[in-house]
Amino acid sequence: MPTEVIMPKVDMDMATGTLAVWHVAEGEAVKKGAALFDIETDKAAMEVEAPASGILRQILAQPGQVVAVGSPVAYLYAEGEAVVALPAETPSAAPAVVAVAAPAAAPAAPAATPSQTVAQVANGAADLRATPVARRLAREAGLALSNLLGSGPRGRIQRADVETALARREAAALAASAPVFAPAVQAAPDEWTAQPGDLHVTTRKGTGTPLVLIHGFAADSTGWMALERALPRDLPLIRIDLPSHGRSPLRRLSGFADLAKTVVQVFDRVAEGPVHLLGHSLGGAVALAVSDIRPRQVKTLSLLSPAGLGPEIDGAALNGIARASTADSLAPWLKRLTARPDGISHDYAKAAMLARIDPDLRAAQQEWAQVLFPDGVQAFDLTAALERVTAPTLMIWGRDDRILPWKQALAAPGEVALHLLRGVGHVPHMEDPDTVAALLGRHMK
Amino acid sequence: MNAQTQITEVTPSGETREMSYAEAIRDAMAIALDRDPTVVLMGEDIGTYGGAFQVTLDLIDRYGPDRVMDTPISELGGAGVAVGAALTGLKPIFEFQFSDFAALAMEQIVNQAAKLRYMLGGEAAVPVVFRMPAGSGTGAAAQHSQSFEAWFGHVPGLKVVQPSTPEDAKGLLLAALADPDPVIVFEHKLLYKMKGQVPTGYYTTPIGKAAIRRTGSDVTIVASAIMVHRALEAAAKLAEEGIEVEVIDLRSVRPIDRDTIIASVKKTGKLLCVYEGVRTLGVGAEISALIAESEAFDYLDAPIQRLGGAEAPIPYNPDLERAAVPQKADIETVARRLAKGEV
Amino acid sequence: MIVQDNIPFAIRHFAPAQLREALRKMHLIRLFEEGAEESYMRGLIHGTMHLSIGQEASAVATCMELTDADKITSTHRGHGHCIAKGADVGRMFAEFFGKETGYCHGRGGSMHIADVKTGNLGANGIVGGGLPIAVGAALTAKRLGRDDVTVCFFGDGANNEGAFHEALNMAAIWKLPVIFVCENNKYGMSTPATYATAVPNIADRAAAYSMPGVTVDGNDFSAVAEALHIAIARARAGEGPSLVENLTYRWRGHSKSDRNRYRTKDEIEDWMSRDPIARFRAELIAHGVLDAAGAEAVEAEAKQAVADGVEFAKASPAPGIADVTKFVHAEEAA
Repeated sequence: MPTEVIMPKVDMDMATGTLAVWHVAEGEAVKKGAALFDIETDKAAMEVEAPASGILRQILAQPGQVVAVGSPVAYLYAEGEAVVALPAETPSAAPAVVAVAAPAAAPAAPAATPSQTVAQVANGAADLRATPVARRLAREAGLALSNLLGSGPRGRIQRADVETALARREAAALAASAPVFAPAVQAAPDEWTAQPGDLHVTTRKGTGTPLVLIHGFAADSTGWMALERALPRDLPLIRIDLPSHGRSPLRRLSGFADLAKTVVQVFDRVAEGPVHLLGHSLGGAVALAVSDIRPRQVKTLSLLSPAGLGPEIDGAALNGIARASTADSLAPWLKRLTARPDGISHDYAKAAMLARIDPDLRAAQQEWAQVLFPDGVQAFDLTAALERVTAPTLMIWGRDDRILPWKQALAAPGEVALHLLRGVGHVPHMEDPDTVAALLGRHMK
Repeated sequence: MNAQTQITEVTPSGETREMSYAEAIRDAMAIALDRDPTVVLMGEDIGTYGGAFQVTLDLIDRYGPDRVMDTPISELGGAGVAVGAALTGLKPIFEFQFSDFAALAMEQIVNQAAKLRYMLGGEAAVPVVFRMPAGSGTGAAAQHSQSFEAWFGHVPGLKVVQPSTPEDAKGLLLAALADPDPVIVFEHKLLYKMKGQVPTGYYTTPIGKAAIRRTGSDVTIVASAIMVHRALEAAAKLAEEGIEVEVIDLRSVRPIDRDTIIASVKKTGKLLCVYEGVRTLGVGAEISALIAESEAFDYLDAPIQRLGGAEAPIPYNPDLERAAVPQKADIETVARRLAKGEV
Repeated sequence: MIVQDNIPFAIRHFAPAQLREALRKMHLIRLFEEGAEESYMRGLIHGTMHLSIGQEASAVATCMELTDADKITSTHRGHGHCIAKGADVGRMFAEFFGKETGYCHGRGGSMHIADVKTGNLGANGIVGGGLPIAVGAALTAKRLGRDDVTVCFFGDGANNEGAFHEALNMAAIWKLPVIFVCENNKYGMSTPATYATAVPNIADRAAAYSMPGVTVDGNDFSAVAEALHIAIARARAGEGPSLVENLTYRWRGHSKSDRNRYRTKDEIEDWMSRDPIARFRAELIAHGVLDAAGAEAVEAEAKQAVADGVEFAKASPAPGIADVTKFVHAEEAA
């Protein structure tokens, strides 16, 4: 039996991947673990290793093709093994080609699987919005747009989004050129410099009251992608990158109140009327503080595994994530975030590491961890604030949260709606975006 | 067909003088009457009265009624006489009192002037100039305020220009007169009193060439006539916010300066067309289409936007009248949203 | 014996060679249009045509005293005017066949036939389109101090267009050298002039513009020539415009798609019995300008010219497809 080579899922919310290049030609031998092909996500171009030793045959996906996760892209045969005819009538045999990025590439889906192709298109690249210049730049750079987050109206990918992705890919290429076993990409310096400028805010246009999103510690606004896809398309979004996170400037922090004040300033600027507010983890604590400070500006409050409701926190994990300088050192900590650690592949960790490639950012976040969570304890308490909040409040917590124990939710007053999700860890918006979106939808009505 | 004529050269002096838009047009006509004996002015009340907007004031005293001819209130016939005169050796400049009245003369402009050269296989020429005071803002309501540039721009055989400054008002009129084919000059009524430095003596402003009035890298605005000035005001305001707008003065609706517009859009990736004529099927539609069809398409980073006249006749009430055509604030808002990637 | 007093104006006024040439042109018009009709039936001509068969005297007599410097504006029924003004039938056929050698390089066809070099500013597809243009041409002559005149052909239909009023009024107030020649062939397409026009004679309308107006038998060569002689003299003398109404009849329908539902066979046959060519030819023979054999020779000449013209047109090249926009603007300005 030949070994199936599939498009692997390397990103938690990844539904498709673009096959960038084959490193092995059809008919050539490859050893298990050797680089077989590259795929592209919004985070990076990534190598996929051969799942077995053998001869590469029956390549089904050409460079530039967008393929559904789990679909076969080729087969590996043992030396001398007879080539099995592809069961063309079986949909799984052919890759579910979602779109062809390069116009010159092979024709789209094989004729034998039209229904599947149509279904994939409906969910994938067909409703991708991108400006002509974004498409051209991506085309010229061989970058797939399907996993990019667009900052334009209705999620339209604009020039700046592609340029950011390309800059990240460049950084990834630099990182990849370093030996894998090197102790660190670059050690975080003790000294880092605070940067001027406003917090980075991205918006998605839509109709009705906007939803303001505040991410958690060591994350950034791109972490909302899975949830955004599950939310109504016309829901306007305002995403705030916390200081020292994502594309916001690096800032020193004197304490939680300092952080809350900074975010309120941005909130005042971006929220033109009462808004829906959603925060995760540290962002949940910030959202709670904002609701306390600006009660009339918050229509509803939603908290995902919020910080600030008890002393316990997995400080080791937070420090570990903040400090990790390689995918290898990051991966074990990331596994603590989810209920199913096997969901975190090495490739996912590599991709996550790329977003943290800037050593100054890591240094700043380590310093933050010391300020906010000294000695592995939450140094701020928002239970009183939660008592005061007047906006209807929704709280969602994973029962398997290993970073912040769900029992802290019991600090909430009776008016707060609490949902405890089974089989979910610390990142419910990534682990079960559909349920979270459904709960949010009801809450915001 | 055209008679041999003695053309007296009036060379540009290199000097400029401050003139209003109306004075610049009058200066152009006086120069034309001086240098070419085949030039005649025709139109309703252009003699002693000086024209509805006083543009031809005093010219009858200087050149006499044979060369500054009051026509009866006969737009169709008057335009036709100008066409016939142009066909046989004169160079008439025919003034419509209001561009709206050109609707009465569409037959002669569209069926005759525009087509005679072609229908006759190049054996005839109609070097006539039609001057058309156009645009809203005077409280003259639906039948005296329209902007018909796109109508005439749709007709092969015509050239259509829209000067926005006194200098261009003179240069484009002289260029129109020098052109061997019919040219329609849309003069915006609100610009007649606008002052500016105008070169003295004879010169022409090329037909078919737009002018970049302000350079910028964030958004391209293509505007015409009075909209150029509104766009420039909006651009100045946006510059305070760090948004750099490039303002292109279209100047010529037909032929249109594709190259200048394409080059600008390739630079900025964002295009806003601002024009006073009704938005639908207007000049902006043509500009949008030419960009969509050109190599500039691959440089667009936002949908092309158009600001044009309302889908209504020009109303009388001053607030309604203002609301019916793009104003500075409208331009500012759309350009800002374009620049910020919000469109 | 013919009494001197009864000699028609034309015989008295024009030299025999001129009269012979007039007869040749009338035959040429008739034969040209019959040839065009036949070519149309053979599929050599597309679109439509408006034939003036039966109106030849009006066209030729009107143009008798015009030189190449004098202008005419013509109508959609303009083949006769074009030939009367001196055009070559070969180039006319070429135009009808859509050829590059046609007068309009294949861009105009029958409805826009013109020959600018002989002063024909063109047939016009718009009823009344030529009226203001003729006034403009006359204005040019006056303004530039030339003594040429402009004849404006138009039909009975055009006399109800607004342009008629505007043009005649302006020609009158400026005393321009223009002669408005109405070829009243009784029908504007199918609508009788008697129904569509408030005055019995179109020439009556001249009074509204303080210009002379005269109605003549348009099938009588001499009557038309005499009326034009007077009007042209008045125009050249700077006394202003005139209106001449030539009563005539088109034997054929309005265009090739006319089914003749609006007129009787009797009416058509009655008018055919008043054939202007036969009448003029008889008159020339009667007054000894030429004999029967001479008349035959004139007709044969015209026949040959038409045959040669068709051959020339057939052999001519078509315009290049790539040149579809050629002649929209002057070359140098394109």
